[in-house]
Amino acid sequence: MAADNLPSEFDVIILGTGLTESVIAAACSRVGLRVLHLDRRNYYAGNWASFTFNGLLSWIEEYKAQQQTPSTTSEQGWNDQIEDEEEVVFLSSVDSSISNLEVFSYASDKSEDDELLNSPVVGSLPKAAEEMNGCHKEAQDLGSSSACTQGDGDPHNLEVKNQDSCLSEESKKTDQQPIRSPEQAVEVKKKITYAMLLKEGRRFNIDLMSKLLYSRGLLVDLLIKSNVSRYAEFKNISCILTCHNGKVEQVPCSRADVFGSKQLTVVEKRMLMKFLTFCLDFEQHQEEFKDFTEIPFLEFLKCKNLTENLQHFILHSIAMVSQDSPTINGLKATQHFLRCLGRYGNTPFLFPLYGLGEIPQCFCRMCAVFGGIYCLRHSVQCLVVDKESGKCKAVIDTHGQRISCSHFVVEDSYIRDDQRMQTTYKKISRAVVITDRSILPSQSDHQISLVTVPPLEPSSPAVRMVELSSFSMTCMPGTYLVHLTCSSSGSAHEDLAPVVSRLFHVPSSCTEESIQGSEENEKPVVLWAMYFNMRDTSGFENSSYNLPSNVHVCTGPDDSLGSDYSINLAELVFHQLLPDEEFCPPAPNPEDIIYDGDQGEGAIFEGDSQKEEAVIEGEDGSQAHKQHGATCSSEPAESTDSIGHEILTEYDIQSPPLGNSP
Amino acid sequence: MAGGSVSECKEYLFKVLVIGELGVGKTSIIKRYVHQLFSQHYRATIGVDFALKVLNWDSKTLVRLQLWDIAGQERFGNMTRVYYKEAVGAFVVFDVTRSSTFEAVSKWKHDLDSKVKLANGNPIPSVLLANKCDQKKDSSNNASLMDNFCKEAGFLGWFETSAKDNINVDEAARFLVEHILLNDKGVPYEESNGDRIKLDQDPMPAESKSGCC
Ligand SMILES: Cc1cc2nc3c(=O)[nH]c(=O)nc-3n(C[C@H](O)[C@H](O)[C@H](O)COP(=O)(O)OP(=O)(O)OC[C@H]3O[C@@H](n4cnc5c(N)ncnc54)[C@H](O)[C@@H]3O)c2cc1C
Ligand SMILES: Nc1nc2c(ncn2[C@@H]2O[C@H](COP(=O)(O)OP(=O)(O)OP(=O)(O)O)[C@@H](O)[C@H]2O)c(=O)[nH]1
Ligand SMILES: [Mg+2]
Repeated sequence: MAADNLPSEFDVIILGTGLTESVIAAACSRVGLRVLHLDRRNYYAGNWASFTFNGLLSWIEEYKAQQQTPSTTSEQGWNDQIEDEEEVVFLSSVDSSISNLEVFSYASDKSEDDELLNSPVVGSLPKAAEEMNGCHKEAQDLGSSSACTQGDGDPHNLEVKNQDSCLSEESKKTDQQPIRSPEQAVEVKKKITYAMLLKEGRRFNIDLMSKLLYSRGLLVDLLIKSNVSRYAEFKNISCILTCHNGKVEQVPCSRADVFGSKQLTVVEKRMLMKFLTFCLDFEQHQEEFKDFTEIPFLEFLKCKNLTENLQHFILHSIAMVSQDSPTINGLKATQHFLRCLGRYGNTPFLFPLYGLGEIPQCFCRMCAVFGGIYCLRHSVQCLVVDKESGKCKAVIDTHGQRISCSHFVVEDSYIRDDQRMQTTYKKISRAVVITDRSILPSQSDHQISLVTVPPLEPSSPAVRMVELSSFSMTCMPGTYLVHLTCSSSGSAHEDLAPVVSRLFHVPSSCTEESIQGSEENEKPVVLWAMYFNMRDTSGFENSSYNLPSNVHVCTGPDDSLGSDYSINLAELVFHQLLPDEEFCPPAPNPEDIIYDGDQGEGAIFEGDSQKEEAVIEGEDGSQAHKQHGATCSSEPAESTDSIGHEILTEYDIQSPPLGNSP
Repeated sequence: MAGGSVSECKEYLFKVLVIGELGVGKTSIIKRYVHQLFSQHYRATIGVDFALKVLNWDSKTLVRLQLWDIAGQERFGNMTRVYYKEAVGAFVVFDVTRSSTFEAVSKWKHDLDSKVKLANGNPIPSVLLANKCDQKKDSSNNASLMDNFCKEAGFLGWFETSAKDNINVDEAARFLVEHILLNDKGVPYEESNGDRIKLDQDPMPAESKSGCC
């Protein structure tokens, strides 16, 4: 484990372990390139990372520290390593992709042995309540010690004690319920305290970025094709909800949903089925939409005489496009949604167990298995550029070591502003909320829900929300983890707090806090919430940067629900590096590796479907571990017809998972 | 499935990690154990993820051991969570001919305990392997020192092994599996799996249903 010196030469150095960089790393290593993969953080996945509760608190602390003392860049150890015909290009040593971070804690810090301590604090109750009320303002400045700004990673943080005073007799009783009959026990929820969140912190896997996988999206296809899927498990999203007329309603998307729906009239059901059937192969019916292609989708829906109800479902929850996006985009999005139905369940979406942050790491493992070298907490100070060719020939790492490479791949947040052509960015607004119950009253089998929230005001953004139960392995039992995401129009708090207060009960003072777990209040109670903005550089291209031609910049997560953008980018960069190589061919199955004992010469792989042999371990310690003859994509080709058939006839029946084995 | 007839056979899948410094013999031990092979040539491990060993533990128990290798290239830093995820046991290997690899054992153990825990919050059972014992020069091995070290560092025990001469490899594995089974009483693999989706899973997992007794 000791970090001895790194080798001094690689084919490609990759800086940043987000999804795009990790896919590129796996793809390069898989076809035999020598890959060095670095990240300046002590965790994987950059802005795609997921954290335990305590890990997230540390992340928040780091952010605060960085805001307070913008780190002075100390570049050294490179001067003597640069020749006359070379120049250096510095990278940024700070990550400024996160902004407007605000944290609110509403869970009390009561614990059994604290009870005696309570009496002295009671006197300060009015003051504590005041601070709670004022917390929205105060939290803007994370440096101040507001009662509800819960940034401190220290479990013994005294600030929280202010809230001890909120402890009501009622909540004490709830906590000490004697054993009851099962039915009663279900009703009386155990109150979740802040101390419990900390104690059970390891059960949380809180993603910085929230996305779902379309079951026929590029990421799912890539996971299957490359065999990286062996490192992850998924859950199907159990239901899709939408905020409509001030209520939360289920979106009918499968045939069974449509016919079983109570909100829809018989006429609407027929209308909806007819329209969805048309969308499945809309290209075949040019006459129906050709005059509308560039006209807003909503206009098209109106022209089709769909009721307001149906327009809402289709626009916001199925196509998930904005009011003004053109009809052609709306139709494509609807079609994609429908084609994804039924592959793994009766919604089109999958969520990775333990959080989205698992996915980049799965690709990193694949890269490491094929020889990629990994160093976290390790970055690059500067690039060494050959003056004549204008190409990057080496880097100087943060330990002052010079490492040569033929290609350098880097995540956007490592780039300095003076290397950018443009320094204005789009942003993503994010909120992470921990609640005490599901937004659906009878949540029993709804373990993961997607909720689409159309703009509350004409000027505000459409928000998507994912509610995760503990079955997703991302939060402790008894809590729900809710992710809200939209493209920013203001700060994350400005964009998302209105939605949070619409859908949840946000305690406004500590006295109200006892409501948690009580039955009078139907809305889930917010125990803890965090808001922040993340830079969205997804529109940027290589021409957006003033960098050598063999430096490839990867942008961070975009604001869409799927990950197609990042996967497309990874494939594009890979083919810039290696135009003729295959992108992520299947890795051999561990069970198919046969060690060749006689020669003591490593392992032989028998391709399961191709029955072709491939040498896994290099014959002479060189990079001879390419898998020969392993042609890719054995995924069964399916015609649109058969998919359409599947949806329209077996809409609601869970088809067996499809995989590499046809 | 739960509480089926007594004669039914229980099947377990255990993920076991094999960690330790570069070149201590991790891959050799796995090859010896799973494939009964040994090679003198050192080659940095590439392209090998994990190996599967099926054990007919007793007349009622089938154990599939997934032995997860690491490659030397991960020595520089942190392993991905993917590697540690849902592991239930570990071997930490060092090379008796190189004391620096023994000194790194504590670091590996510490990293392991910080990355994965059993459901009850305890560390996963781990066993220390003093490999390449066929090459040991001084026979004055201090067993009681090693016992103490294991107690302090939280290892269940230690074995002197040789992947080359096939010494103690099976014994060490048996010892570890015994402890894993103690921890995992009554939770056969399939039941705990719920409605999780594996993207590449076989449409018909008929194989896992086949009896073993
Ligand atoms: C994907 C993943 C990432 C992890 N990342 C970290 C990490 O970054 N830092 C860290 O200290 N620990 C990490 N762990 C270990 C984790 O903190 C504990 O092992 C886990 O919480 C076990 O306790 P549980 O009560 O949740 O087990 P249960 O929910 O009862 O889970 C049952 C089984 O699943 C395994 N398991 C459950 N959750 C995890 C989990 N989160 N990680 C590994 N195995 C798990 C357990 O070992 C156990 O055998 C990670 C585990 C996984 C699966
Ligand atoms: N004499 C002897 N040599 C061994 C033994 N086990 C492994 N070796 C040798 O030690 C060298 C390294 O073994 P590997 O199994 O490749 O070690 P590793 O820990 O997998 O190495 P990395 O994957 O690079 O970290 C090889 O040359 C093996 O032949 C053993 O028990 N006795
Ligand atoms: Mg090895």
